[in-house]
Amino acid sequence: MTQKNNQINARQSKQIAGALALASCGLFATSGHATELSKKADDWKVDAALMYYGEQDRVQAVEAIGTAQKAFGDDSVLDLKLVVDSLTGASASGAVAQSSSQTFTRPSGNGQYSVAAGDTPLDDTFHDTRVQANVGWSEVLTPDWKLNVGAYGSKEFDYMSMGLNASIERGFNKDNTTLFLGTAYSFDVVDPVGGRPVDLSSMAVRDNFASEEAYRSAFDATRQSGSDNKQTADVMLGITQVLSQRWLLQANYGLSSVNGYLTDPYKVLSVVDNNGITQDLLYESRPDSRLKHSFYVMTKGALDAGVVDFSYRYNTDDWDLKSHTLETHYRYYFTGNFYGQLHLRYYQQTAANFYQPFLMADTPLPEFASADYRIGDMSAYTIGIKFGHRLSGGHEMSYRLEYYQQDPKNNGTTIPGELQNFDLFPTQKAITAQFSYSF
Amino acid sequence: MMSTSSLKTALYSLQRRDWGYLGEFRAMASPCEILIACDQLDIADDMLDMAVTEALRIEHKYSRFIAQNCLWQLNHANGHKQLIDEETWQLLAFAKQCFQLSDGLFDISAGPLMELWRFDPKAQLPEHARILAAKALVGFERIEFDSRHIEMPTGMKLDFGGVAKEYAVDRVAYELAECYPDIPVLVNFGGDIACPVPKVNPWQVGIEDPQHLDHAANVLAISQGALATSGDTRRFFEVDGKRYGHIVDPRTGYPVVQAPRSVTVLGPNCVTAGMLATMAMLQGQGAEDFLQQQDVKFSIFR
Repeated sequence: MTQKNNQINARQSKQIAGALALASCGLFATSGHATELSKKADDWKVDAALMYYGEQDRVQAVEAIGTAQKAFGDDSVLDLKLVVDSLTGASASGAVAQSSSQTFTRPSGNGQYSVAAGDTPLDDTFHDTRVQANVGWSEVLTPDWKLNVGAYGSKEFDYMSMGLNASIERGFNKDNTTLFLGTAYSFDVVDPVGGRPVDLSSMAVRDNFASEEAYRSAFDATRQSGSDNKQTADVMLGITQVLSQRWLLQANYGLSSVNGYLTDPYKVLSVVDNNGITQDLLYESRPDSRLKHSFYVMTKGALDAGVVDFSYRYNTDDWDLKSHTLETHYRYYFTGNFYGQLHLRYYQQTAANFYQPFLMADTPLPEFASADYRIGDMSAYTIGIKFGHRLSGGHEMSYRLEYYQQDPKNNGTTIPGELQNFDLFPTQKAITAQFSYSF
Repeated sequence: MMSTSSLKTALYSLQRRDWGYLGEFRAMASPCEILIACDQLDIADDMLDMAVTEALRIEHKYSRFIAQNCLWQLNHANGHKQLIDEETWQLLAFAKQCFQLSDGLFDISAGPLMELWRFDPKAQLPEHARILAAKALVGFERIEFDSRHIEMPTGMKLDFGGVAKEYAVDRVAYELAECYPDIPVLVNFGGDIACPVPKVNPWQVGIEDPQHLDHAANVLAISQGALATSGDTRRFFEVDGKRYGHIVDPRTGYPVVQAPRSVTVLGPNCVTAGMLATMAMLQGQGAEDFLQQQDVKFSIFR
């Protein structure tokens, strides 16, 4: 242990202060909090969820969702998603309740079903299985530019959809500001059970015909042959701004142009007289294009033991359908591994310009008409809670329960005669329950 | 951010001063101070909150005394390859530079040697055989790492103690200056100090004379920059009239002789200043010469 031994080489020694200062720069090049070790980036990250959705007396759905994510190096991430869902139950057909029982032809034309006096007509033939697959790839091109591309396809009995999307993100100002430009295109094929109804044609009901042959030729006259399609092109522009250590703000504008077959082939309208008695049932008709604008702002903040976000969305389109959505999530960490989350959402919409709860027999037929409550005046709210546990080994388990209530409203239509005795705009309630596990 | 805030159990206080606000808390076994030249309570409170969060985050991640933390995982890998995050990689890369620039004098794998030396006045010299055994587990050059992984021989242990406090000071200073670029602030964790934002009336920093601890021997004016001190007069012992200070040369396994009692260095940031102070200390008799060659301001007490 000589003193000489302790000396740093004299030639090198002069440069040490500068070299240290240079070496230390790397320590502060990474902004924000580096990720902890627990996550093994090279492994597949898999989430599985089972969801139940049930409307009171109407549609019930069970959905299985599987997602998988894998990173390739620091710059590339592959996302896969598979959804299988099964729907059963009844859905409002658009016809109004009557004081006597009503008979409707099934969409296939094979057979009919009856709705009791006073009941809202529901089409009970609603059941389907849907499979949907998504694949996405994101790539960090340079520290400032990021590219995402994706494709998806979904198939159910009477509907098929395929789509492509691409977006780029650019970070500015040390990534405190991110600009986003995205575009998507989808192509859907609609092939309804029993064929597409002729717009505003009258529903043929077997009871009104003397023979099966006469009924069949009348039914066929209401149908167009072959399938039809629908194309959607979307453009979205977004900005995310870090406001402070704890808050960020996101704003998006989206433009969506839809062309093709936009009518719901299973929806009808009742034609009533001045006493409110149904004279006829017509298949609905919608325009073959729709241009939608969407505006969205969201702010998200980190609290001492939780996370909160608030968002507002405004949608408007050339059908004059306008909607406002207010939403918030508040997550509170009871411990580092256990959280509870509250979800509140309020939604309000004004009807599309061709929406009518029914048609009047003494008025000329409009070009477009639909009694689908989903494009009528309505408000809706959701209250949900969710709990999540982080288990050892990085696994996570969560449970979610939500209550949804939809209150359709009259859009100002005068209700004639006996229709005043019925609730033409019935409230609809639904429960969603979900269990998720990630590993 | 979420996981660290649940750790924020430590008490901290914020007091009004005529020049702004003084925030105080404890982290890394040291009293910590944030001097904020700003009159607004909400801003001062936010800055103190950021400082506490970041200091505790680093302490929790790299402390040798917390089981199951990031460092514990690395030190209990039993020779297996481990994944590391970017922050750990940057710290390892900096430690490697320090190891190379100091010709092996500064070595974050020197923990097993340090543990043999108990620096209290009644301590005995450890047996030479034990020192040799410990030396077999020391040597940063035997650690393999890249930006994603680390692999080190079983039994070797890392100790970021020689750099973590200075790193925390710089991280806190950096984050505060990012968020509040116009507010001068002095970050002081147990004598390691950074002032990231230039101040018109410089901060007055007192440097203790280790032999007269009650009063500052020297006052430095700092407008912007950092300073760090190596040395602690309470941590030494004497055998046969020979004074063994707390700095151990990992290459020999013995404390450096004739090391100064304390070395304070000014630098562009706290890790640089701290490393220069530690390296100067390891030069023993040559501490002053070493620092003079570095063209930095310093203060040495012997």
